[in-house]
Amino acid sequence: MSTPEATTAVAMPPTSLTNQQSLTRVMGTLIRREFWEHRSLWIAPLIVAVLMVLTVFPLHIGQMDFEGAPNFADQANRIGAFTLMIWAHTVPQYLVMSLVSSFYLMDCLYAERKDRSILFWKSLPVSDATTVLSKFLVGVVVLPLGVYVLAAVSGVLFQALWSVRVASQSLPDISVGWNTLAWLKVQGLMLYGVVVCILWFAPVAAALVLVSAWVRKNVFLWTTLPPVIAIIVERAAFGTRHIVDLLGYRTFSGVWSVLGINPTPPESVHHGQVVSLANLFDNVEMSKAFLNIDLWLGLAVAAALLFAAIRIRRYRDDT
Amino acid sequence: MNAGDLTMSPVIQARGLKKSYGSTQAVDSVSFAIQPGRIVGLIGPNGAGKTTLFKAILGLTHFEGELSVLGRDPRSERNQLMQDVCFIADVAVLPRWLRVSQALDFVAGVHPRFDRSRATDFLRKTDIKMSSRVRELSKGMVTQLHLALILAIDARLLVLDEPTLGLDLLFRRQFYDTLLNDYFDKERTIVLTTHQVEEIENLLTDVIFINRGHVVLDTSVDTMPERFVQVTVTSENAARARELKPFYEREVFGRVAMFFEGRNPEELAPLGELRTPSVADLFVAKMQGVS
Repeated sequence: MSTPEATTAVAMPPTSLTNQQSLTRVMGTLIRREFWEHRSLWIAPLIVAVLMVLTVFPLHIGQMDFEGAPNFADQANRIGAFTLMIWAHTVPQYLVMSLVSSFYLMDCLYAERKDRSILFWKSLPVSDATTVLSKFLVGVVVLPLGVYVLAAVSGVLFQALWSVRVASQSLPDISVGWNTLAWLKVQGLMLYGVVVCILWFAPVAAALVLVSAWVRKNVFLWTTLPPVIAIIVERAAFGTRHIVDLLGYRTFSGVWSVLGINPTPPESVHHGQVVSLANLFDNVEMSKAFLNIDLWLGLAVAAALLFAAIRIRRYRDDT
Repeated sequence: MNAGDLTMSPVIQARGLKKSYGSTQAVDSVSFAIQPGRIVGLIGPNGAGKTTLFKAILGLTHFEGELSVLGRDPRSERNQLMQDVCFIADVAVLPRWLRVSQALDFVAGVHPRFDRSRATDFLRKTDIKMSSRVRELSKGMVTQLHLALILAIDARLLVLDEPTLGLDLLFRRQFYDTLLNDYFDKERTIVLTTHQVEEIENLLTDVIFINRGHVVLDTSVDTMPERFVQVTVTSENAARARELKPFYEREVFGRVAMFFEGRNPEELAPLGELRTPSVADLFVAKMQGVS
């Protein structure tokens, strides 16, 4: 434990050792701080994860013996069902996470002005840039990755309970129960999805941070009304719909084309086949997503918006 | 610049400081210097410009003119400055959701000069529990907590803006006693703004009076007796005393208290009873005398 500190002590002049708390320690403290203040950041995902595990108990599936039903004696179909269950299990968790994250980002720089504690935070040697970045990182990186881990763990628990119910014959035996390789591939696919979403939605998150740093009250209105008004004005003045297209592209449709996950074309799927997400993992070209120009443009916009938020926090003088 | 130079040069040096809000000139060409190891009271009525000066010193507002704090410009070097400066603003409320233990964890995590054991020692003498949230504490206890955090930081400059506002007398007295006994030493400088002058006048080594954005008086408390004399003049001597141009006079029980600046005491002695005015009296005299 003491080795890294000992080496830095030799490497760094003593003055900077006493004058600077290491950036990682400061950042770690700032991130913990956010979880103290905004308890919904960890309580809400935890509740959803527990609920998702518990859904295994009321779950009822009838016998799959209707006309054209998949043949669940087929091992490929059983793996497919396994991967779909893991995936479906995470969806509500990510949906709740995006809501929690959005509301958190809208509030993160507004709360300290609302409760007038900003001068206390500003009395400590933490720069405005570090503070703003810590809040952005919590909403955009720490929370999604935390939910990713939580979803993976709760997925395993769900599978374990599912297997118990299958063994006691209260659920039909349609899935493989456990397949480590398929599980790893689904996790890989999900992690890829989370990382791409983080990068893709970064400008949206940064815009929320900026609004949060800027408004005096009614953050939610200031976040939602201006785009709506802009859309209406554009429609009335020019009869065009570029803004709504752009917003729709950035907040929803665009991310799918960046992800480049092409579902297996329907014509190649034969009747009664359960498509495995593990196959999607095998077929996705991950490097392509990171060459998408819109992804990088968005990141540049995010950087500009964050810079503006930092400037506002640094220089605003109405406390 | 080595440490020796720094201790000799002023901790705060302001030259021609200006700041206006719209058409209101909050601070107008203010110049002063604050030396290390002093406790300076920045004293003025409400709206005098104290808070503006306070914000300027801490890099919380923009202003015109020159200002150097610990050799740094608070406008451009605020981040470095905050390593050596601590402050309590009257409006700086500790966040209500914060637990006492979290407050200690936080400051320990971000401040390289925070001595956690010092803060816990201080808190042990109070009724504050580690697990309490700020919202559960009384106003006096919140100030004690804030003080515990601040006093455990080895800072060179401590700036307090109306730190005891809204506290009862016991807490106020305790606050200043702690400040003086547990914190202050020759290496440190304390600047505090208040309008409760009486309570802190024994504490101060220097006073800067400010009114309507101007410095009205800037003096050390030690040299006040040489500069200012308060003479209680009987009514028959009043006319004679007025020839010596007091800058302020006040009638008390049929006698007149006159305040003189830069007069020889021997010249004033025949007029009545001489004494050195208290900071509070001098403050009133200076504020009223100017307008």
